[in-house]
Amino acid sequence: MTTAAPAPAPVAGAGAAPTASAAVLTRTLAGLKLALLRNGLKQSSGRKAVWITSIVLTALFAALQLLGLIALRGNDHAATFTVLLAVLWAFGWAVMPLFFPAGDETMDPSRLVMLPLRPAPLMVALLTAALIGIGPGFTVVLFVGSAIATAHGAAAVAVAVLAVPLALLICVALSRAVTTANVRLLTSRRGRDLALLSGIVIAVGAQFVNLGLNRLSKAGGLEALQPVADVVRWIPPGSALDAVRAASEGQYGLAAAELALSAAVLAALMTWWQQGLTKIMTAPDASTIGAAAPERKRGGRAGRDGAAADHRPAGLAGLLPDTRTGAVMLRSLRYAWRDPKTKASWVSGLAAGALVPFVNAVQGSGSVWLALFAATMLGLQMYNQFGQDGPAFWMVLQTLGTAREAYAELRARTLALALIALPYITLIVTTTAWLLGKWQQWAEVMGVSLALLGGLFATGALTSVLAPYSIPQDSGFKNVAPGQASIAWLGMLGSVVGAALCAPLLGLVIALHVTDTHDLLWTVLPLGAAYGLLVTWAGLRVAAPKALARLPEILTAVTKA
Amino acid sequence: MGRDTETAVPAVRIEGLWKRFGEQVAVAGVDLALPAGQFIGLVGPNGAGKTTTLSMVTGLLRPDQGRVEICGQDVWQDPAAVKARIGVLPEGLRMFERLSGRELLAYTGRLRGLPGAEVDKRATQLLDVLDLAGSQHKLVVDYSTGMRKKIGLAAALLHNPEALFLDEPFEGVDPVSAQTIRAVLERYTASGATVVFSSHVMELVESLCSWVAVMAGGRVRTHGPVAEVRGDAPTLQDAFLELVGVRGRAAGEDLDWLGGGAR
Repeated sequence: MTTAAPAPAPVAGAGAAPTASAAVLTRTLAGLKLALLRNGLKQSSGRKAVWITSIVLTALFAALQLLGLIALRGNDHAATFTVLLAVLWAFGWAVMPLFFPAGDETMDPSRLVMLPLRPAPLMVALLTAALIGIGPGFTVVLFVGSAIATAHGAAAVAVAVLAVPLALLICVALSRAVTTANVRLLTSRRGRDLALLSGIVIAVGAQFVNLGLNRLSKAGGLEALQPVADVVRWIPPGSALDAVRAASEGQYGLAAAELALSAAVLAALMTWWQQGLTKIMTAPDASTIGAAAPERKRGGRAGRDGAAADHRPAGLAGLLPDTRTGAVMLRSLRYAWRDPKTKASWVSGLAAGALVPFVNAVQGSGSVWLALFAATMLGLQMYNQFGQDGPAFWMVLQTLGTAREAYAELRARTLALALIALPYITLIVTTTAWLLGKWQQWAEVMGVSLALLGGLFATGALTSVLAPYSIPQDSGFKNVAPGQASIAWLGMLGSVVGAALCAPLLGLVIALHVTDTHDLLWTVLPLGAAYGLLVTWAGLRVAAPKALARLPEILTAVTKA
Repeated sequence: MGRDTETAVPAVRIEGLWKRFGEQVAVAGVDLALPAGQFIGLVGPNGAGKTTTLSMVTGLLRPDQGRVEICGQDVWQDPAAVKARIGVLPEGLRMFERLSGRELLAYTGRLRGLPGAEVDKRATQLLDVLDLAGSQHKLVVDYSTGMRKKIGLAAALLHNPEALFLDEPFEGVDPVSAQTIRAVLERYTASGATVVFSSHVMELVESLCSWVAVMAGGRVRTHGPVAEVRGDAPTLQDAFLELVGVRGRAAGEDLDWLGGGAR
């Protein structure tokens, strides 16, 4: 391999404390990585199962894509594919650690900062450690497969022997360099917030990939990508893999140039990484300085006098009532924006509520009834209200003494949701009806939406009280604390009941259609609104005294994560 | 200090309090009467049951058995009356951290039923006294440990409670913030209010409290005015170690390589 950056001899100055030599350091860090991987197996049986499953699945997937790449051998556009794949894959390597910051403990140089280590040997050791693991293993298989798909002739094989390790090292070094450059961000609160939103980014990204693949299959396959590949093959590690193709086609000069470019980029990445490492290990941690500094921007506004004059929050928030209702609504709405988990839940709810009816309508296969998705997704936000508070629920608990206060608390949370849900549902139903040109269905879908929203609000309030569970705050993917999955399922069951609650309205709509009394369909809207309001009110009324009686139990349930 | 502890209605009366978590008994029959108008320390090693006891006293955790009365009212029979009269700062439970310090106080005050203008006046003064005015518009999630304890204390004091329960209020707090918290608490008890706080820093308890209860293994080992509990021991720390039954272990016999220059 080409890794062997010259390791400086350990400095043994007179009286200096001993520092580990490069070889020892490399062995130690590689051993550490192996130990960490092995310890994955020593965890609880549940995690062990997950760990083994992920390895088996990865191996299976690696084998499949290897077969796929081998099958591609001989295809005129095989190189187009391998080059694009390599660049996309390297992009993934660069981006993934930003979303999974805790994925690899040997990757975090701040854990090594107290040890007497010099950057150059440390870098070699870290790079070696980085090559151990499932990800690099999969990458090797991917690049080997790419080389098999494109290498024809002895010269090409020789180039491939250089190109594959080069491409792998570029991926790993890129990943490490990006992580090191962003380590301040990754360990800061904002970085962690960002990581919590990764679930959405990945979900949306998957949609784009899906859309792209659809386009591709319609546009006639790999040929369509040729122009893109012509540019991309100059981007390492794509250039390394294109060198294999160039060598196969006898363009030895081009192959050499592409290999040289890849090597140069690898060297540049290593330099960037080393600079980042040096900076991290010597510069002070800016995060604590930032937190300790007094605020300058707005600090002067509310001085020690005159603050009583403007006790009402500025802007639209000032319109909320000056009571528990207003305070709780404002807090709920602020959390929808500021708390990453709540925000993720809102964004995915809003996005799904719009995408399902719109995409179907645009593709011409839709129905206005699909706009019920909006009411469903927003109604579900009412579920596990206190779990969304998490351990902070004690502050609410301390102020709830009567069923009346509990009712006011639940009602305010519902109002905050309705403040967003009602305009949004109207917008979605209206737009869907407009896209499909079926205005005559607007009123009935609106009416059933409101009834559905009411049903979900009512059952949401009840299950929030009866089946609360903790939401882990440190993961963008887990929404239930370990051991509470059955409680969460109970809540989901509640949502089925909530959906069933709008049956009377659906019955009315069907009856009006069957009896051909279409001119009365508009009545579904006011009836649905009234019904939704009634069901919500009843749900909150039932839930409030139960909440009061179960306050400590709810607190215990929502502080598990 | 030196007020008569025996006469008036106790601030807190605990009778036969039990709590089990599965096999483990966290609190094993606590009986205690805490005098009103004093600075009371609840001390004990980690795992003694201090936090569990305070949680049950303040209505955060339902006891398996037993009664708790605060100012003559039963915590679990009449929670509305009790909650209005106490302030709480639990340990390890987060607040609504995505609010700024001032927003958190405004929210808490409205939940306590205080009028907006009054909340704002009190919040301004509390932020000022607790030295948080410069960070009042920063989100609590970005606060340091000391600042969190202080904003938590402000939220607990906002409705002017008769009794204040603080779980490890000085844990992880820098000396400057600790002094600020201390000054506020001393002023508060001087007005006749009761402060109950848990700690395992004996020096702090000794210098701050007039009355102390020592817990270990889920039980109260002893209680009373600080001087009484200290007895003949030179410091409260010594008395405490004696009570909890820890003999000074000879540390360092096996560490003969430690210190002394060269390795």
